Amino acid sequence: MELSDANLQTLTEYLKKTLDPDPAIRRPAEKFLESVEGSQNYPLLLLTLLEKSQENVIKVCASVTFKNYIKRNWRIIEDEPNKICESDRIAIKANIVPLMLSSPEQIQKQLSDAISIIGREDFPQKWPDLLTEMVNRFQSGDFHVINGVLRTAHSLFKRYRHEFKSNELWTEIKLVLDAFALPLTNLFKATIELCSTHANDASALKVLFSSLILIAKLFYSLNFQDLPEFFEDNMETWMTNFHTLLTLDNKLLQTDDEEEAGLLELLKSQICDNAALYAQKYDEEFQPYLPRFVTAIWNLLVTTGQEVKYDLLVSNAIQFLASVCERPHYKHLFEDQNTLTSICEKVIVPNMEFRAADEEAFEDNSEEYIRRDLEGSDIDTRRRAACDLVRGLCKFFEGPVTGIFSGYVNSMLQEYAKNPSVNWKHKDAAIYLVTSLASKAQTQKHGITQANELVNLTEFFVNHIQPDLKSASVNEFPVLKADGIKYIMIFRNQVPKEQLLVSIPLLINHLQAESIVVHTYAAHALERLFTMRGTSNTTLITAAEMMPFVEVLLTNLFKALTLPGSSENEYIMKAIMRSFSLLQESIIPYIPSVITQLTQKLLAVSKNPSKPHFNHYMFESICLSIRITCKANPDAVGSFEEALFMVFTEILQNDVQEFIPYVFQVMSLLLEMHKNEIPSSYMALFPHLLQPVLWERTGNIPPLVRLLQAYLERGANTIARAAADKIPGLLGVFQKLIASKANDHQGFYLLNSIIEHMPPESVGQYRKQIFILLFQRLQNSKTTKFIKSFLVFINLYCIKYGALALQEIFDNIQPKMFGMVLEKIIIPEIQKVSGQVEKKICAVGITKILTECPPMMDTEYTKLWTPLLQALIGLFELPEDDTIPDEEHFIDIEDTAGYQTAFSQLAFAGKKEHDPVGQMVNNPRIHLAQSLHKLSTACPGRVPSMLSTSLNAEALQYLQGYLQAASVTLL
Amino acid sequence: MPVGSEQEKHMRKFKNRGKDVAAMRRQRVEVNIELRKAKKDEQILKRRNISITPLEESSTSQEKKEIIQMSLEEIVEAVNGSNTELQLQATQATRRMLSRQRDPPLNHIIELGIIPRLVEFLTRADSAALQFEAAWALTNIASGTSDHTRAVVEGGAIPAFVSLLSSPHMHISEQSVWALGNIAGDGPLYRDALINCDVIPPLLALVSPVTPIGFLRNITWTLSNLCRNKNPYPPLNAVKKILPVLICLVQHEDKEIISDSCWALSYLTDGSNDRIQIVVDTGILPRLVELMADTELIVLTPALRAIGNVVTGTDDQTQAAINAGILAVLPRLLRHTKATIQKEAAWALSNIAAGPCRQIQQLITCGLLPPLVELLEKGDFKAQKEAVWAVANFTTGGTVEQVVELVQSGVLKPLLNLLSAKDSKTILVILDTIANLFLAAEKLGETERLCLLVEELDGLEKIEALQTHDNNMVYRAALSIIEKYFAGEESTDFQPGSDEDGQLNFSVEKKDFNF
Repeated sequence: MELSDANLQTLTEYLKKTLDPDPAIRRPAEKFLESVEGSQNYPLLLLTLLEKSQENVIKVCASVTFKNYIKRNWRIIEDEPNKICESDRIAIKANIVPLMLSSPEQIQKQLSDAISIIGREDFPQKWPDLLTEMVNRFQSGDFHVINGVLRTAHSLFKRYRHEFKSNELWTEIKLVLDAFALPLTNLFKATIELCSTHANDASALKVLFSSLILIAKLFYSLNFQDLPEFFEDNMETWMTNFHTLLTLDNKLLQTDDEEEAGLLELLKSQICDNAALYAQKYDEEFQPYLPRFVTAIWNLLVTTGQEVKYDLLVSNAIQFLASVCERPHYKHLFEDQNTLTSICEKVIVPNMEFRAADEEAFEDNSEEYIRRDLEGSDIDTRRRAACDLVRGLCKFFEGPVTGIFSGYVNSMLQEYAKNPSVNWKHKDAAIYLVTSLASKAQTQKHGITQANELVNLTEFFVNHIQPDLKSASVNEFPVLKADGIKYIMIFRNQVPKEQLLVSIPLLINHLQAESIVVHTYAAHALERLFTMRGTSNTTLITAAEMMPFVEVLLTNLFKALTLPGSSENEYIMKAIMRSFSLLQESIIPYIPSVITQLTQKLLAVSKNPSKPHFNHYMFESICLSIRITCKANPDAVGSFEEALFMVFTEILQNDVQEFIPYVFQVMSLLLEMHKNEIPSSYMALFPHLLQPVLWERTGNIPPLVRLLQAYLERGANTIARAAADKIPGLLGVFQKLIASKANDHQGFYLLNSIIEHMPPESVGQYRKQIFILLFQRLQNSKTTKFIKSFLVFINLYCIKYGALALQEIFDNIQPKMFGMVLEKIIIPEIQKVSGQVEKKICAVGITKILTECPPMMDTEYTKLWTPLLQALIGLFELPEDDTIPDEEHFIDIEDTAGYQTAFSQLAFAGKKEHDPVGQMVNNPRIHLAQSLHKLSTACPGRVPSMLSTSLNAEALQYLQGYLQAASVTLL
Repeated sequence: MPVGSEQEKHMRKFKNRGKDVAAMRRQRVEVNIELRKAKKDEQILKRRNISITPLEESSTSQEKKEIIQMSLEEIVEAVNGSNTELQLQATQATRRMLSRQRDPPLNHIIELGIIPRLVEFLTRADSAALQFEAAWALTNIASGTSDHTRAVVEGGAIPAFVSLLSSPHMHISEQSVWALGNIAGDGPLYRDALINCDVIPPLLALVSPVTPIGFLRNITWTLSNLCRNKNPYPPLNAVKKILPVLICLVQHEDKEIISDSCWALSYLTDGSNDRIQIVVDTGILPRLVELMADTELIVLTPALRAIGNVVTGTDDQTQAAINAGILAVLPRLLRHTKATIQKEAAWALSNIAAGPCRQIQQLITCGLLPPLVELLEKGDFKAQKEAVWAVANFTTGGTVEQVVELVQSGVLKPLLNLLSAKDSKTILVILDTIANLFLAAEKLGETERLCLLVEELDGLEKIEALQTHDNNMVYRAALSIIEKYFAGEESTDFQPGSDEDGQLNFSVEKKDFNF
């Protein structure tokens, strides 16, 4: 493409079209641009447009297109063609900085991003003049230009904050420091001076403060890896000025906006970060400055208002104090009783107050509120920062701090008591304070696990929490109700059981509260109480203790799902699941109603599944209903099938991908409940399960394999009789799975079930082909996982059909095949087999090969007999060989690219482990001894002579142990 | 089977898959580029002689009168002239300028072009005073930057100074020792130039029971500079000549002599294992460990450095340091008030923890865990970083029982706290350590308990937050721990994988097999 007006015109038109809302116009234009972006001069045309176009919209569009072009193409990847020609690269680097600096802000940002992408690849070696070019602009005095430079520098240098130390990185930083540190320092000083000369000029101040923020950020990046010599020498300049800026206020810079942080706040917040960096990493050098910063930051906190725009600043500032006060050598800065009191009173208590913004979130954005409050995603909030400061102070001053706060808690509770409807927020703060003071360690599973012994939690519970929850109206003071419920939840391990039992009906009652937060907390609290462990591995709260409440609990839980805003509330659904699991057979009388409500819910959400957790717990609850009911009454399985199959059919027909893996698991569970022949309703579905499209989705594979296994366990004969034409399809599934390194083990699960359950004559014609397939995979892409599964399979086959049959089928495929498999696969790899049952199968199978396979005794295979026995003894006695060749580490990771719905395994649909040799052989070592004995009686003298010539001494010793234990001798 | 190899095999199998012990031991230099100020506690490379020597004070009043200011032009003229008296005056004036406390005019003097003449004066056996003044002046020029030193060397000073070592006048030979020390301190190039000029035999010959302390200090310092610097290291045969004398000097009672000879040993051990072995073979380790317990920083610092270097060596070399008693003195050094000492001690500890489990056991038995935990909790950041490495190595090479002991000593809380450190590498090492702890917990069936412990100590929250870290390796390590151990109670099993295309037709074509 030439740099011609005509091309500029064409490009302008296409760019315009890319902004068109109509995809029919937009898409082809995007395609066109993509098709020409490899041409020489294309980026230069874009740069020309973004500079000279008459239309602003084209300028902006060209700048964005340019940045994306750079992002996609600048990096030169080894072994791939260079996507930008060298002359364009040189021209871009020569022009982009001045162009960026002379552009309006909107375009400047795009170009600045582009520079940093280029810089990441080319700076410093391939772009040596960049730094000087930037530094020279500091002299310009034009702060629009200076800010452009600073912004670019920031995007170039910010990676110093997270990259690992290396020679390359530090060489670059050193180069940057040499060129940049002094000019930056001078700019910093000059900017601060300008701030005082322009103290009355609002628009000038805004520009200057933007510079200061960027300078402070650059300071952070440049000082991150280590303390540079230059900054150590100039610490006085930087820290004195930072300190002054922290204490600075200027009416002109205050903003009216309550939400968005202003320049002053952003700057101070960055300075807190800088001070924290020095305090953490360069303590020795920073020590002289630290006390001043503590005082300044603390004063800052005392004077900063409650508005949301200050949140980041306040939480950064408090976190700074929290990190300093835990250090032994700064303890003295906080030790004084007056200091402590003042921190508690002026910093902690005000930041724990429930603010208007919190109230808004509580009512209108409850999901977010719950996430922050319950799940601890509150890291940046003021309350959280205040809480951390309490914990920090308690490290050295637990007694005094507890004492100071007890006074506050009492007075706040008194305020509340005077006029609850006006002063309820005081009680909220009091509860929060008690909570943060008392909790020393906490987990989701157990709540608080270590508490401050100076706080009497039970007394507070009985006197101040229970009364709120006992009040007649569940909808009064919802925030306090939520606080109270949360208190039970987190202190459940501290409050005695009898108090918890008193609370249970109260919690059940609050499931009816209108407030989403309140009924969600109630459900969550119940769920947590039900998972508490009592003595001897039982639940703390027993089904018997819950008897009086079963009906009201179930009623209220399901009713809560009908409250506005909670129709797919995962906490409630989880509480339902947990209640079923706790109450067990007590729920049976309610099952008809329960299962109706669950299926209705299932039908409703299957229209548009959006809450994965909710859905998961719903299916768990369905599984629990089935298991609990059918355990007591196996015949009930039919009524579940009746209730569920209609919905399931709809889900399968509408291809609701999220639910299909769940449906297969529930069906497996139902099918396994059947004691007799497989019902015809299942058989009707069988052909559909073999449809290729179902097997394309990886999320379906594990549950589908399991379902087919259930079919084979329960209905192998029926399949052989009535659906023999489907057997090739079934084996086709096996063939598909076996071809994939990620899914081959699933293919073996299926194959094992086929071999174990199908009548031999029904699969006889396919057996040879099965082995050929396995051998092909073994030859072409053998992996450890495949070999392990393969070994288990051939031994299972050997157990089922006999060792001779195994040898014959192998040698039938190719002469001497059996020997090759023994020598190259079984003997060297058997040590890798893992799992109790798997090892047992292999042991029994190999024993059969050793003792029930005549060719092993009198053909050329005989030389393999002792090595095979040695390998078997190794399988018994040596630790498992879990080494994996290096190149195999990454198989699964590489294959994740195409996965769609992940498979979500249901805990309550669990399959019990199946041991196909279970009854036949109890102790495989004894079994080996007995089998050898039998063999030796058939051919006296042979076995001992083979043992004595080539079995190693250690193995022989083990073997003698087995023979002794079995009380047999070899003849 | 011998126990040792069994254990090693065991370690390869479970823990150190992909890592080997040699890689876990970390040599002193990871990064050659320094951003920091040159370290204040390093030994001085070059020194200028600014002291008033006794000779000056004993000079006659007549001489004192003669201290007249000479202009630079006059100096050049006199030095280049043939009048010995004027030469002496001018050289003395030069030396005086170069000896003043502030801003000695090194560059000016070099620019005068008189260095070759000053070197010539070194050979003037007829005038000891002239030799001495020239030696002093050149010493001070050589004490400057590399450019300054180069000017002296290129003026031909090396052979002249080497022969002056054997001067009958002690003050001249002492000044020569000093000058040679400055030249050696410039770097490996001049150090080896000196060694090639056979500086060592006459230098060592100066050491005797009657050598005055001050002189002996100068000799020791110059010897240490001859041992100093890498790339390349000093030649082995030179080292072998110097070493026996150093071993004697380390036994001296003068602290400065001990200090400089310890520095020399620290340079000799700062290298490959065969260089460490030469020092170990002298049997000096017990003395070095004894000196690590010294209260004086100038002794303690280089002794700790030398021993710290030794434990970067082989298991046997580390064992030699353990046998010399290093584990008994380390606890106090880990609690030292000076941050750099804490750091060096922790670094040494981390390298011992990188050894086989019998050495880890000794570390436990000698009570190193409590000070290690303390250091992690409240040490200086540089020391904390080393302590993190110590814990990481411990969990990589220790047995399950040893790891349990480590956890019981309270390591988890401070370790997890350091996840908020502002250093990506440290964070990554901690995450790897946590993964190691979980492996041990899995073996004991205690995974769930460890999960709770980590959560209680606010570790879970920190690991979760690291999932958004900008450093890819950090984020992946955090993610993998969360997915493996904290993925929720009803664990969801993500089955990855994609299938090759293909019909579900069961069909097959036979080929020949050969595995």
